[in-house]
Amino acid sequence: MSFQGPEEYDYLFKIVLIGDSGVGKSNLLSRFTRNEFNLESKSTIGVEFATRSIVVEGKKLKAQIWDTAGQERFRAITSAYYRGAVGAMLVYDIAKHATFENIDRWLKELRDHADDNIVVLLVGNKTDLRHLRAVMSEDAAEYADRNNLIFIETSALDSTNVEHAFQQCLNEVYKRVADRHFSNVNIGQTTALPTTNLQSTILEKKFCCNS
Amino acid sequence: ILKALASNPINVEMLRQLSISRGGLVSNELRQKAWPLLLNIDIDNIPPKPNEEELHSHKDYGQVVLDVNRSVKRFPPGMLEEVRLSYQDQLIDCIMWILVNNMDLHYYQGFHDVVVTFLLVVGERLTFCIMNKLVQNHFRDFMDKTMDKTNFMLNYLLPIIGKVNPKLRKFLEKSEVGMIFCLSWLITWYGHVLKDLKDIVRLYDFFIACHPLMPIYLAADIVLYRQIEVMCCVCEMPYVHRFLSQLPDDLPFEQLIISSGDLFLQYPPSVIKHEAEMIREKLVLF
Repeated sequence: MSFQGPEEYDYLFKIVLIGDSGVGKSNLLSRFTRNEFNLESKSTIGVEFATRSIVVEGKKLKAQIWDTAGQERFRAITSAYYRGAVGAMLVYDIAKHATFENIDRWLKELRDHADDNIVVLLVGNKTDLRHLRAVMSEDAAEYADRNNLIFIETSALDSTNVEHAFQQCLNEVYKRVADRHFSNVNIGQTTALPTTNLQSTILEKKFCCNS
Repeated sequence: ILKALASNPINVEMLRQLSISRGGLVSNELRQKAWPLLLNIDIDNIPPKPNEEELHSHKDYGQVVLDVNRSVKRFPPGMLEEVRLSYQDQLIDCIMWILVNNMDLHYYQGFHDVVVTFLLVVGERLTFCIMNKLVQNHFRDFMDKTMDKTNFMLNYLLPIIGKVNPKLRKFLEKSEVGMIFCLSWLITWYGHVLKDLKDIVRLYDFFIACHPLMPIYLAADIVLYRQIEVMCCVCEMPYVHRFLSQLPDDLPFEQLIISSGDLFLQYPPSVIKHEAEMIREKLVLF
C-alpha cells in the first residue's frame, strides 16, 4: 500500500455528503472521484472520504469529499465531520418522498454544526428511475429557492449531472472564497500552517517536496 | 475440540480456551456445536418466529431491508444468485426476529454484518438463538437509543496504544484522526471490513469467548502492528484516517489474536477505564 502524501494544489475544499440512508451518497462520490458506480455497494458505517482535483480559473482546487452514514443514530458521530466543510451536498432519492421530507432535518443539522457560509446543494439523485419519480422537480426547486440552496438532479448510475453538481459546488465555494465570504476562516498562505490546519475551513497552500 | 464437546458435562471452559488458541474452532461444523455451548444456549427451546406482519411492522424494518439489499458482497463469490437471494430473505427475517424479541434495543447499520456472518455458518434458527443472547451481552451497548456508549468504548483505543507506544499515541492525537476509522471494526466484529469469511469467523470464535471490549484491544493491536507505516503518514486527519481505515489483506490474525489477548491481560479494562473517561470529559468540554 502506498501512502497518499501531499500533492500540489492551490485550495483544499472540504465537502460533505449527507442525506438519508440509501439515497446514493456513496455512489455519487465514487462516480465523481473514480467514475465508478457499484450496484452492490455496501452501507457506509461511520465516515469515508475520497478526493479529486479540478481546475477553476487557472487554480487547482482539491475537493476532499466526506461520505457519511445515513442512519439517524450515526448523526452524533458524523456531524463532527461537518467542521471545516465549505460545501455540502444534501442528497435525497427522487423515487422516495420520505427522503425529501427529511431534507429539513438535514438542513438543520448543517445549520447547527457547519459554517454559516457553507455552500449547500440540494441534490435529487436517481433520475434514472424516472418511472418511479415521487418528488417533482418543481417542488424541490421551490424548496431550494426558499432555503437559498442550489438545486440539481443527478443520476450516479447513468452519470447524468454528477460532474456538473460537484463542479457547481466547487465553483460556488471558490467564488465565495474569492469574495472573502468565509470571514472567520484561516486562509493559510504558506506551508507553515499548523498541522491541525485541516480543521480550518479553507487551505491555500502549495506543498513543496520537503513537506 | 471433539474431546471437549464429547465430555459429560461438556467442558465449556476448555472450549473457551480452544476458541482463543491457534486456529480457533477450526471448522463451521464444530462452530455450530460450540458457539451455542459457549453462550449457554438451550437449543431445544427456541421460541417460535413471530408472524410476517409482526416482523414487517417493526420501526426499523425499512432500514434493515436497505442494508440487507446492500450486503451482496458478504456472500461467497461463487454463490448462485437464487441461493443468495433466499439467504438475504432469511437475513431480513432473522434480524427482525431478534429485534421483535428485544423491543428495548435499537437496530444500527452494521448489525446486519454480524447477523449475516452467523447465518452463513449456523443457519437461521441457531443465528436467532446466538444473537438473541449476544444482543444482551457483547452487542448490548451498541443498541442503545444513542451511540454514546459505543463512543465511550472507542475511547479505550488510544490509552491502550499509549501503554505500548506513547509516541504513536501522541502522533495519533496530534493528527486528530479520532476513532471513527475503527467504528465498523467494533460494531460489526470486523465483518464489515474483512473480505474473507474464514478470517471473520475465526475472529468470532475469539470474540464470543472473550470480554466485549476485546474487539477494541484487537483494533489497538492492529494499529500497533502497523505503527511504523502509520507514523510515515502525513500527520493530518485525512491521511491517517485513510491509512488506518483500509485494512491490508494479509493481516496475521493468529498472531494478532495472541498479542491482543496479551494486551488485554496486561492492561485490562479496569486499568484503562480511567483514561477513557478522561478522553470523554475532554470531548464534552470541547
